[in-house]
Formats: sequence, C-alpha cells, structure tokens
Amino acid sequence: MTNAPPTVAPGEGTEELAALLREGTLAAEYPRVGRLLAGLSDDALGRAGRLLARLDPGEVLAAHPDTPAPVIAVTGHGTLSALVPALTAELARHGLLARVHLSDFDGWVLDLADPGSALYAARPSVTLCVLDPAVVADELPLPWRVADVERVLEEKLALAERLVGTFVRTAPGGTLVLNTLPLPRELTGQLVDLKARAQLGAVWREANARLLRLSLDVPEALVIDLDPLLAEGGPARDVRQSVYAKAHLSDGLLSAYAREAGHLARRSAGGTKKVLALDLDETVWGGVLGEVGPEGIATEGSYRGEAFQRFQRVAKQLSSQGVLLTAVSKNDRETVVKTLREHPGLALREADFVHIRANWRPKHSNLAEQAGDLNLSPDSFVFVDDSPFECGLVRRELPGTAVVQVGSEPALHVERLLRDGWFDVRELTDDDLVRPRRYREDHARQEFLHTFDSLDSYLRELDITVRLAPAGPQELARVSQLSLRTNQFNLTGQRLQPAETHALAEDPAALVLAVVSADRFGDNGLVGAVLLHREGKVLHIDNFLLSCRVFGRGIEQAVIAAVLGHAGESGAEEVRAEYRRTAKNGKVAGFYPRAGFEVVAEDASHAAFRHMLGPLPRPVGHIRLTACFERALHDAPQPSA
Amino acid sequence: MKNVEDFVALLRDELALPLTAADLDRGLDTVEAWDSVHMLALCTLLERETGRPMPLSEVLEAPNLEAVYRLAVAS
Repeated sequence: MTNAPPTVAPGEGTEELAALLREGTLAAEYPRVGRLLAGLSDDALGRAGRLLARLDPGEVLAAHPDTPAPVIAVTGHGTLSALVPALTAELARHGLLARVHLSDFDGWVLDLADPGSALYAARPSVTLCVLDPAVVADELPLPWRVADVERVLEEKLALAERLVGTFVRTAPGGTLVLNTLPLPRELTGQLVDLKARAQLGAVWREANARLLRLSLDVPEALVIDLDPLLAEGGPARDVRQSVYAKAHLSDGLLSAYAREAGHLARRSAGGTKKVLALDLDETVWGGVLGEVGPEGIATEGSYRGEAFQRFQRVAKQLSSQGVLLTAVSKNDRETVVKTLREHPGLALREADFVHIRANWRPKHSNLAEQAGDLNLSPDSFVFVDDSPFECGLVRRELPGTAVVQVGSEPALHVERLLRDGWFDVRELTDDDLVRPRRYREDHARQEFLHTFDSLDSYLRELDITVRLAPAGPQELARVSQLSLRTNQFNLTGQRLQPAETHALAEDPAALVLAVVSADRFGDNGLVGAVLLHREGKVLHIDNFLLSCRVFGRGIEQAVIAAVLGHAGESGAEEVRAEYRRTAKNGKVAGFYPRAGFEVVAEDASHAAFRHMLGPLPRPVGHIRLTACFERALHDAPQPSA
Repeated sequence: MKNVEDFVALLRDELALPLTAADLDRGLDTVEAWDSVHMLALCTLLERETGRPMPLSEVLEAPNLEAVYRLAVAS
C-alpha cells in the first residue's frame, strides 16, 4: 500500500520529502522544502507536516544557521497534537522553520497567568492560545439555561482579558493569538424554546465580537476568526475525537487555523509581500489577446467574463490598500497597453498598474527586471499565472517569489489569490493607501532621469526636501511597518512590532526619529527611521531604516550627517552604531564607514562602529533638510547590555 | 489496506514512524518511536484508508498496535 493512495498531483513533493527523511538528508536539504510543498493538496500537505515534524529543528539550524526559525508556543483547552505537524508544514511553506513548543493539555490558564511558566521561558515570537466551545460547555451546570452560558462566557472573557494583560507585561515583543469560538449545534439543539435558542446565538456572538475587539485594543493580541474558515466547509469538530480524546476542534479546522498562523509567522518574520504581478491571458481576462483581439477577450457579459471580472475587482480592491499591481504578459506591448487603456469592459485599467511588461521574454527575467525598476526584491512579489510551465519556471528561477497558480476555472481564481493572506499587515498606515500612486510617480522620476546626462544634475533638479524629527504618535504604526517590511536598508535587521515601537517612543532615554521626504513629483511620506538611545556621553544608533523606494538619492547621507551634527551639539563625545548582516542587507554593510565611522569590531555577521565627531560629513548639497531633535535625550538609568 | 504489511507501511510512510512488524505486538509504552499523540492521527488515516469508522473508544484502550490493526480490519 506504500504508494497506494492516488495522491492528487502534484504529490511528488511529499514522496521526495519522505525519501530525504529516510536517507537522513532532510536537514541538509531544508532550503528546498518550501518548493517541494508548493501546490500540494491538503491531504498531501498533512502528510508532509507529519514527516517534517519528525525533523529536529536543531539539525536544520546546524546545517543552515540563517534559516528563520520562530518559536511558536501552542497552548489551549483541548488536545492540540494535530496542530504541531500542521504548523510545521505551514511555516515551511513560507521558508520558515517552526520550533513548536506544545504545552500540556488544558494548560492555557497556568501557561499565560504565571510569568515563570515554561511557555514564557521558551520566549515564543508567536503564542497560539487555541480556545474551543468546550471551554464554556464543560462548565455548564445540569440543567442549564441561556443565563448560565452567558455567565460562563462572561467569566471566560474576563479571564482571557486578564491573561492578555499578563502576556503584554511578561512577553514584550511577542504576539498572542486567540480565536473565536464556534457555536456547536449540540448546544443550540438542547434548547427546545426557539426564543431561548435565538438568545443563545446572540450572547455567543456577542462574546465572539468582544474577543475580536481585543485585536483592536491591544497591539500584542490577535484574534483569528474561525467563522470564515468554517464557512468554507468542513465540520468544526469530530464528535468522537471530542468525546473520547478531548480534541475539540477537527483536524480540518486546525489545518485551516495553522494556515492562518503561518501567515502571521511569515509577517512577523518580515515576509509580507508588496507586489501583485499578474499574468493577463486566462488570469486577468479569458482568451489569448494575441489570438482573439481586444474585442474577443472574456471580461464581462458572459459566464466566463463575469468570473474574470470578479478577479479583476479583487485585484483592484487589494491595490486600493497599498498593494502594487504589475502586469507580466507574453504579448505585444502595444496591444496590451491599448487594451488596458481602452477596453470598456475591464475593471482593471492601465492606471491601476504601476508597471506593465508585455513582451516575449521569459517571465522570470521580466519579474526580476520589474523588481529592479521598482527598487524592490523579487522576494516581495506574488506572481499569478495559469500556466504550469511559467509557474514552474518562476518557482525555480526566483525561489523567493510567491507563485499562485490559478487553474482553468476562473471562478476559483479569487479564492486562490486570497488563500495565503500574502499582503496582510497588522494595521494599514496612511502611507499604504497612497503607495501605488507614489510608485507611479517614481516611474515619472525614472523617465525624468533619462533626460539628464548625469545623476548629479538629475538629483539637483529633483528638489528633494527631508524632514527629520521625533516620530509623532500617528507615525509610530508606519515606523513599525517600515521595520517589518524593510529588508535591504535595515542596518541590523531588527523588527519592531507596533507595541515595541510605542514603548521606544515613550522611553525617555531613547529617540525614534522619522524621516519624511518629498520632491518635485510629490510627497514620499515617511520613508525612514533612525532609532537612537543615549548612555552618558555616547549616542547609540540602534538602527537605521530607509524605504528602498528612496535610497540612492543622498537622503541617507543627509540624515546621518544631521544625526552626527546633533550628537556634537548636544554634548555627546562619540556616536556608536552597528551593522548586523541578514540575507538581504549586504549592500549597506559599508554605509557607516562611508559616513566616516571607524570599525571597532568586526566579524562575518556583525560590525561595530564609532564616530568620534572630529570632522563631520558635509551636508548633502542637493537636499534641503530640516532637523528637529526636540524631545530631549536623557541618560538611561541603567546602561543596557 | 489488505494486510499487516500495508499497516506497517502506513505507520512508516504516512506517520513517519520508524517501526517494523516486530513492534506491533509490543506494549505501546515500550515502543520507542510511539507517542500517544499519534493515535488520533492514526485513526484518521485508518478511517480514510478503509472508508469505515473506527471504534474510537476501543482504539484508545488498545494495548498494542496489532490490536489497533485488528480493529481497523474488523470494523
């Protein structure tokens, strides 16, 4: 029976995983795992998870020390063993190595209430507290009434809120994930009074709504809404497993939950995508443009046309929230542009795209060049195509690009696109909403650049202004987002969750400076941040972040010159800074030395620098900079380690 | 699932447990690779393979894997 189940293609990925595990080479081959898992059916992914869960994360880290390996704590009310392989597979899909810390059965209250618990000691970056309806049902008296349910719900919610409070105090920088409780028919069906049954539905939903609002009020808390996952089908539980083994949520639901948790872990590790690159023929519209002509494509008014129209509208909806849309199509450019500009039936138009590439070259080359033009990494792209050939090629050539392969049924395109929450963010910022417009302005800048002989004369004409000042309360979400999204110009690779950014801004010894820039083409918004703290006569630059959209224009030099100037004027005797190498920030390794810092310590992954404030770098001529360091820096009471 | 070899293959390939036929009649607590958390996953897999429900309350009381196999083929 070894190969008996007719595994849905492509199941070869699981077979290869099994072979690697048998041969003992899976840890060494771990970087390939993400690709092996791509496109697996749910069943095959389940098996892959069980295989991967046999692997010792320590072995993988020994072979590949740079693998991002978040610690994920799992606690909750019922038996949750099925969640471990599911999480392992979901994180592996995103290139992460899950180090899962599974608590004892029903340990959630002690785990979260006791600051000395093993859960807190594991220092998880994401803590999953999985709640289920039995949390309430187990405590109902016999006989029970709706008022009893209401009372137990109230007690449990108050408890959950207290535990969130303890978590926030005990695990700064971590994320605690709760979930809504499905309402089992086994409860509603026990009430014969239909009015009471409706009332039970109402109080249950009110409790879920209160849980969801925790996400709005506490930056460290997230609540996964199980309703949309259940609405996709599948039972909330297997009654026998619930009765006999206290596994109160079904394997299917736990898998869907793990998928959502995988998105959270990816986002915490800086893996949020920024660009949605769309194939056109059979992805955005039906038919092959080159064969049927603009009037022949299916985009409205027919069954298939309506299905493609739905997909276009969803892409447009994403773009309204800061996702950059690009087109990558094997077609003649002129026909594509003319169609996008003039076809009356398209919901997606030329102006919705920040970049259109239509030619006959391989798509991976086009994507790589598009990334270069947008000053982004191909790793921040999600590529959607219906062709298995193109998808396979992009997966192979650009392993960091997420590939969404849509099928021949366009009605399913939307679900495929949205399934992995590629573009989820903790909180949209003002900057997100105008991002597509800014990138289109960047395109105009590029065109403008081509009219100049030298970069210098271009930069002078660009008329750049920069404001450097302590980040205001409304800017802190954007600063956190920059630290989570910026991979290239991120001198230490440090990520700051929103709550950590708020804490820094309130720390009297620290200073969070925001860099805001504009030029003749428009406002660039908050494009960078400098994190400082002071110890005695030493000013420390803890990190420097700059959006890849604006670097190379002298803004980084202007800002560092201003920071050094401020250090001298405020009585500091030296400025210290550091660089920590990540997979993506190699190009800024020499940034501090170029600004006149001397190296005090250096190894392959880390360098420490010092500037004694002798000769300072000259201000950058083509930039008008205004700086304000208004929030006074005080000595830290205790020098940090 | 036709025979005990298929059952061992399921344990090895689907659950990734390094077991052989010799482990089947040993007490579960003496099988090194076995952990009670595998039982639920094993039941789900057996139900998928045989297309029949497993008597879960009896499976949870099974002294060894051979007993689980017998329940799977008998049910």
